[in-house]
Order: sequence, then structure tokens, then C-alpha cells
Amino acid sequence: MRYGPLLVTFVVGTALVAMFFIPHHKVQEGQSVLLDWANVVYAFALILGSLSLWASHQRKFLSRAEGWPYSFVTLAALAFVTIAGVVQGVEEGTLVNRYYNMVNSPLASTMFALLAFFIASAAFRAFRARNAEATLLLGTAIIMMIGRVSVGEFLWSGFPPVTEWLLDVPNLAAKRAIALGIGLGAVSTALKIILGIDRSYLGRS
Amino acid sequence: MSEALNTSWFDPARINLLVGLALFVAFLVINIGRARSGREMYIRPMAGLKAIDEAIGRATEMGRRVLYLPGLGDMSEVGTLASIAILSRVARRAAEMGCDLDVPGYDPVASTIMDGAARQAYIEAGRGDAYRPGTVHYVSAQQFAYVAAVTGIMLRDRPAANIYMGSFYAESLFLAETGNQTGAIQIAGCDQVTQLPFFVCACDYTLLGEELFAAGAFLGREPVQLATIAAQDWAKALAAAMVVVSLLASVLGHPELGRLLQTR
Repeated sequence: MRYGPLLVTFVVGTALVAMFFIPHHKVQEGQSVLLDWANVVYAFALILGSLSLWASHQRKFLSRAEGWPYSFVTLAALAFVTIAGVVQGVEEGTLVNRYYNMVNSPLASTMFALLAFFIASAAFRAFRARNAEATLLLGTAIIMMIGRVSVGEFLWSGFPPVTEWLLDVPNLAAKRAIALGIGLGAVSTALKIILGIDRSYLGRS
Repeated sequence: MSEALNTSWFDPARINLLVGLALFVAFLVINIGRARSGREMYIRPMAGLKAIDEAIGRATEMGRRVLYLPGLGDMSEVGTLASIAILSRVARRAAEMGCDLDVPGYDPVASTIMDGAARQAYIEAGRGDAYRPGTVHYVSAQQFAYVAAVTGIMLRDRPAANIYMGSFYAESLFLAETGNQTGAIQIAGCDQVTQLPFFVCACDYTLLGEELFAAGAFLGREPVQLATIAAQDWAKALAAAMVVVSLLASVLGHPELGRLLQTR
């Protein structure tokens, strides 16, 4: 049994909980230092992550597994960005900066734009009136969609207030009930880890 | 003019949170004591968690993988910590059944820790030799690059089961809808309220609210772990009772009780 990591978790976890209740400036500065340390750990882990990515795609590329050309593109992009970043830096006008703005950002925006089509296909499936609950969902969705556009108010002035009521009363009540459960679950998980009841993060069940 | 430095050692505005935390710890201690004394704990059944075994069994029969997605959270998010506990159980079950597992990671720190947890689960199941290097692999820390990679895995490898557990954001519907189109059995649990409707639409089973945090303990069935779920349920019952009482007090002209529950 490794007691060292459990002790570190207990001490740091308890200290951070205590810091939440202590507004003293020295304590708050200490909290900032602890959070800065987390960034240092992250930087090292990023190197580990990049090596894992390289190893995984190198294996696929060398064995000519299905989809190996994608692995080649990934390896080439990883090598290019790493070398260019180390040689030139990442400031404006550098290769990495231009690659980010001209290749990465448009690709990410394109992916995000596809969300509309995914929403349409999911909505089509969810809004089928198969039973009482689904019919209620369908009815509510129709009122919401009509009430949130200008034509809704044109058809009946009562649509916007009805949609506001749906959002502020039944919807908010359900959201708060779920959020309450999530909050309690988060506290429970944090306590399990601080007290050493859950050790799965150490590779122990 | 510089801002005055705070020199107080306690924030009185947070006294209600401190009392709540103390009560939660007390519930935890009481329930752990009950569990250690051998008392049977009643934990309500959760369909989504029972379906995990079914999903892994189905994947084993079909000779396909189980795809486990731990979300986009880093190690500072409780959803990620809950996801590691669930992965540990899922990996153990997959090892016992001889099913292949694939875990594409978003955060490099979380991926490293998950690799250790999954490897240990295989060893505890007596199948350490079956653990494939690269089972947990880092993909990208960019949201839509991660989406592109994972949806590619779904479409190429056609996993028989997709398990989404952790913190998900705008990518939830991309992933769940693509998984739905491949015909995989899908089980999700998410700590982001705004993403839950998307999972409900596209998945076969969805864990709501605190169920995500109870899942690791529920799957393990160890008495002390189950005691934490019981403590969570007690706290929820108390919170619900306080909401009702403060509501009634407000209606009767005494809003002070409701104000006591407010946080800053």
C-alpha cells in the first residue's frame, strides 16, 4: 500500500477546503501558488501525452492498420508544430501561429458548424410522439420554437410569456433539482478522495 | 489607491456551507460505521449502471471493442475523478470478460492516470497480460480535434458499446449522435446539466445528476463505497426538506430561513 500519495492527497485536499473558508490574503496567496504548481505538472504531462500520441499513431502507420494515412497526417502535423514552435516560437507571424489561424481554427469552426445537423437529426428522433412523455416533449418543443421567433408573437401575443414561463418554472425547477444532485455528488466524490475511500486514481480499487 | 488586504481568518458569509459540509461528513461517518458493522445498505437500482455489464457482454459476443470516453474535464474537475473510478470498474469487467477496451483521452494528465487505473484493473482481474499498451491513449486537448478523432474511431472501428462518463460540453451531441448512427449500445453520465438532454436524446441509458458520482461505488459493491452513496442520499433528503421548509416559511412571511441557505 502506498501511504505517501494518500497522505499528500489528504493534506492538500483538506488545506484547499480550509482555504475556501479563510479569506486572509496570505492564505489566498498560498492557494494561488498551489494552483500554479498544477500548471507545472500539466506541462510535463503534455510531453507524456504527446509521446503517447506519437507511439499510438506510429504503431498504426508502421503496421499499415486501417486508416494509416490519417496517422501519417497526425505524425507529420505533430512533428511540424513541435519543431516550428521550438525554432520560431508561437508569436504572431510565426509558422505555428499561421498554422493555428489558417488551418486549425477553420477546421474547428467547420466541425462546430456541423452541430446544427446533429441537433436536427437528434430532435427528429426525440420528438416522435411514441408515448405520453414524448408527446408532452413534442408539444413543449413546438411552443418553445414558435414562441422564441418573431412570427410566434405575430400569431398570438401569448406565445412569448408562455415560453418564458416554461423556461423559468418547470425547466428551471428540473435543472435545479439535477444541479443539487450534482453538487452533492461532487462533494461526496471529493470527500471519498480526500479521506482515501476511493483510490482508483492511484491505480487501486 | 491600493485595495486593503483582507486579514480576517473566517468568512462569515460561508458559515452555511461549513455547516452543510460538517453535516455531510457526519452522514458519511455514520454510514461507514453502519457498513462496517455489517448492516445491509439499500441502494436504489440504476438501470444505466446495470446496463454496463450487458453492454460489455454484448461487445464480447460480437468480438468488438467497448469505447470509453472520459469527457473533456481535467483533474481539477470532480466529473473526471468520478470517471476514473467508473473506468476502473469497466476495465475490470472488460478484463474478466475478455473484451477489448479503447479509451481516447482529452487531458494528458487524466489520460496518464487513467492508463494506470485501467492497467491495475486488468491486473486485479488476473488478466494483466491482456492489457494492451495504448488502451488509454491521449488524442488531443482541443475540443473539435478530439471530436473528429473520436467520431473517426466510432465510424472505422464500430465499437459495440460506447460509454460516456465525465464532463462533456458542446461535443456531447456530436459524439452521442455519431455513436447512435453506428448502432452501438450507449450509456452516458455527465455532470453538465445543459448537456444531459443531448445524451437523453441519443443514448440508450443516461445517468442523471448524482448518479454519475455514485456509479463507481455502485459497480464496485464494496460496503464502505456503498456507504458513501447512502450518505449522499441522506444529504439530498435533508436538502429537499430544507427547500420545502424554507419555501413554506417564506409563504408564511418569514423569508429569513431561505436567506440562510443562500451562498456567496
